Amino acid sequence: MSIHSVTLLIEAMLLKSKSLEEIGRFKDAALECKTIIDIVESAWPHGIPEGIGDDSKLKEMFHKALELFPKLWMQAGFLEEAIAAYRRALMKPWDLGFSRWASLQKDLAVALLYGGAELSLPPHLQQLWGYAVPTSNIEEAILLLLILMRKVTFQEISWDPEIMNHLIYGFSLTGQFEVLAGHVEQILPGIYDRVERWYVLALCYHAAGLDDDALNVVRKALSYSEKKHKPHLPSVILGAKLCCKRPLHAWEGAKYAMKANEISQNQKHFLGVTNHLLGVCYGNCARLSVSDSQRLKLQNESLKTLQHAANIEKNDSEVVYSLARESTMQRNLHIALENATKYLDMVAGSSVRGWKLLALIVSAEQNLREAEAIVDLAMYESGAMDQLEFLRLKALLQVAQEQPKNAIETYKNLLAMVKAWKELQKWSLSSEVKAVKDLEMEAWLDLASLYTKLGSWNDSYVCLDKAKTFELFSPKCWHSKGKLLEAQSKQQEALIALLVSLSIEPDYVPSMVSMAAILRTRGGKSLATARSLLMNALRLEPTNHEAWMNLGFISKAEGSLHQAADCFQAAYELRQSTPVQNFV
Amino acid sequence: MSADPVAPAESSAFWQSVQRAQAAVQSLSLILGSLPDAVASSENPAAALLNDEAVARQVSIRLRRPGSGAGDDNLCRWLYDTFQSNDPDLQLVVLTFTPTIAGVYLSRAISREPLAGFEAVLLALYAYETVIRGGDPETVILPNLANPSVYHEAKAPPKKGAMELNIAVVSPALEPYGTVRSTKRARIVGVALELYYSKISSMPLSSKLAFCEFCMVWAGQDIGTENDGKEEGGEKTAAVGADENGGKDEGEVKAKAASVDKNGGKEAGEVKAGRIPLPWELFQPIVMIVGHCLLGPANPEELRTTAYSVVEGLHWRATHDMNPQEILATRSLLRLGKMGDDTIAEPQISTSSDDYSEEALKMKARLT
Repeated sequence: MSIHSVTLLIEAMLLKSKSLEEIGRFKDAALECKTIIDIVESAWPHGIPEGIGDDSKLKEMFHKALELFPKLWMQAGFLEEAIAAYRRALMKPWDLGFSRWASLQKDLAVALLYGGAELSLPPHLQQLWGYAVPTSNIEEAILLLLILMRKVTFQEISWDPEIMNHLIYGFSLTGQFEVLAGHVEQILPGIYDRVERWYVLALCYHAAGLDDDALNVVRKALSYSEKKHKPHLPSVILGAKLCCKRPLHAWEGAKYAMKANEISQNQKHFLGVTNHLLGVCYGNCARLSVSDSQRLKLQNESLKTLQHAANIEKNDSEVVYSLARESTMQRNLHIALENATKYLDMVAGSSVRGWKLLALIVSAEQNLREAEAIVDLAMYESGAMDQLEFLRLKALLQVAQEQPKNAIETYKNLLAMVKAWKELQKWSLSSEVKAVKDLEMEAWLDLASLYTKLGSWNDSYVCLDKAKTFELFSPKCWHSKGKLLEAQSKQQEALIALLVSLSIEPDYVPSMVSMAAILRTRGGKSLATARSLLMNALRLEPTNHEAWMNLGFISKAEGSLHQAADCFQAAYELRQSTPVQNFV
Repeated sequence: MSADPVAPAESSAFWQSVQRAQAAVQSLSLILGSLPDAVASSENPAAALLNDEAVARQVSIRLRRPGSGAGDDNLCRWLYDTFQSNDPDLQLVVLTFTPTIAGVYLSRAISREPLAGFEAVLLALYAYETVIRGGDPETVILPNLANPSVYHEAKAPPKKGAMELNIAVVSPALEPYGTVRSTKRARIVGVALELYYSKISSMPLSSKLAFCEFCMVWAGQDIGTENDGKEEGGEKTAAVGADENGGKDEGEVKAKAASVDKNGGKEAGEVKAGRIPLPWELFQPIVMIVGHCLLGPANPEELRTTAYSVVEGLHWRATHDMNPQEILATRSLLRLGKMGDDTIAEPQISTSSDDYSEEALKMKARLT
């Protein structure tokens, strides 16, 4: 048969298929299309040959059939056949035009992402292409969307916002936000609003854990150059949230939160959120402030704002948690306990940090046995990873209750569980691996200080060495070493170890306090040095009872008995409300 | 369904499964009372059960009753036994009720009622997934465009030697659990929902609509805030106990939850009180299922509109919790749902006044 007659035949079949579609017989229409495609594919198994020109009617009909075929299967409700049809159209070089090709790729990506059925590629392709074959629908969809994005970048097809949105959705499910950020950056300028582009970028970086980068991007969006536009509320809120996590940026965070609060006065929707952020930022600022009066004022503001947020958002459990946490840090234990129990009730015990906070508050009330009972209950309600942390807390509580044997036993259990976890885990998230590593190091350091108190120097050295293998330049390790040397009365070496600790982290309060403790025993000129160290420590941590006690001793040695009495009183009161573990 | 004649060797397995299905139908009729004839005397009882609206509605009513889900609940026992029968068709039937079970369970978990029945069913689903995955997480290898694939050619020749594969974890490895621990509740229900999603193309419409409705309750959008914060109805979330379940019974609250009703006030109070914590382990399968409902090909219009309002609710919740992963996912779904089949460019949801961008280019694209 000549090409002309074949073309006429195919045109007839295509018309028949279209008419069947019109009257709603989608399956039959699809089968008609299938015949067309089968015919052409058997004639040209390796794709359309070079010779066929662009104006060939046969090619035009064939392309129309290729386009129509999967749509008919979709309308008939056969997802599997539709996806197979799309794949068939895309895997051989049929010389489709750019826009048709892109449209088919996009439709396949949509069908794979949202179809809800996992349909893998035929096995012979796996053998042919090896690792390059997508093994799941979402992989295949992302591959297609990335190809489409590249075409947009090279301007082979025009910009289609749906592609980017599908890509963002796909990447959100896989959690690979750094890669996504890269693709957002590659979008040509002029397509997205500046502010919107920066907002999406900041969200990607924040989701990837790169909070510093996210904050930098947010700063651009809120900078002076954007002043003539209306401020973008979600960006401001994101900025405030990023600063909340970083105590050093507390003032910046407070600025953003106040701005957000201003803007959202007209939009009740966000009012609770902005007040919540403002409260947390005020708390951070209080801890950074140098003057006492400012600190007190900010602490009050913080609690007031958080309470206001809790009143607006009656159902938001996170506000209640923040309120409990802030109250604990301000040693307002009554309110803290109330809110912590309320929080655990609201989430029905499903929050690990809620349990931890409750245990710490109860321990701060010096109710150590009850705190241990809470930790036991929490361990019962959690999975393997969280149990490790609770075990450590339990051991600390046992140490505080002067039960060294039990504590050592608990530490042994903890380290055995860590070892078992490391052996059994084939796959772990890097964040989990880091958390377990940190926990192990802390456990060894705790054991070291326990043995130091008990007087077993050798055991203490062994534990310290184990801890050092995790991280040599850790101020905590050097601090523990300093304490060990001090207990052995090697004061000079202890001072050196503590100096090393302070040189790694100049604001490490425990080292400052320990150093001051050693220096004050020397008397004379060292008293002044000790006093300055302690004042520095108290500036950073006003609730450190050891610092107050040492300050009391110094004042007594210098002769100011009233001051000494005040310091001792402060030390005593603070000790009565200190939780067994410091907050991070 | 293929219509090929069944070989004699297979027919015994086929008949066994039909017998199992008939036994299941019989025991269900003992619990629910009489079943419609279409199910009771069908040749393929499992498929009939799957598609029968009346039975589904009856089971759903029973599951939502106050006091359901306790350790001695017969219906939960039936669901558990049917799932453990390892018959794929019967397992599908149990899966259709997953949204209702998960919904009622999560809403009631706060009230400290005994919910051993629900927990048993959810744990059965979780255990099934754990066995199938065999301790490995669900991973995805992100494609690298530098390497050629079945869909494109690479510009540069592929590099030989060790390939750096960018492996992303979609769902972390599962630990086996014998009981529901409260900190792991979200994970267990999340995995049950992931199992539901994997079979979602076989799920009937009623099941998907029930899921959408529960999502609205979980997100807890204050519909009343539109009307000047009249939400001080004195509702306490800690007491989402007995009273609430009475309100959750058939009809009213659900219908109002499903449609974005701007009545505010009392209705908003009832809807709001069902809000639950939504960590990513729960949010991710929810988003996947809602994405399917919204944008899945060949979905009925009713499902799409319901899914769209659910996405709005979830986006509200995500911006509230300020979780970037959730915001990105729901934001893109929101835009995709709005775009739909529009030919006119729509304004963005949160923009500044500067407009020389997406709309302009869209217009230009349509003209070329």
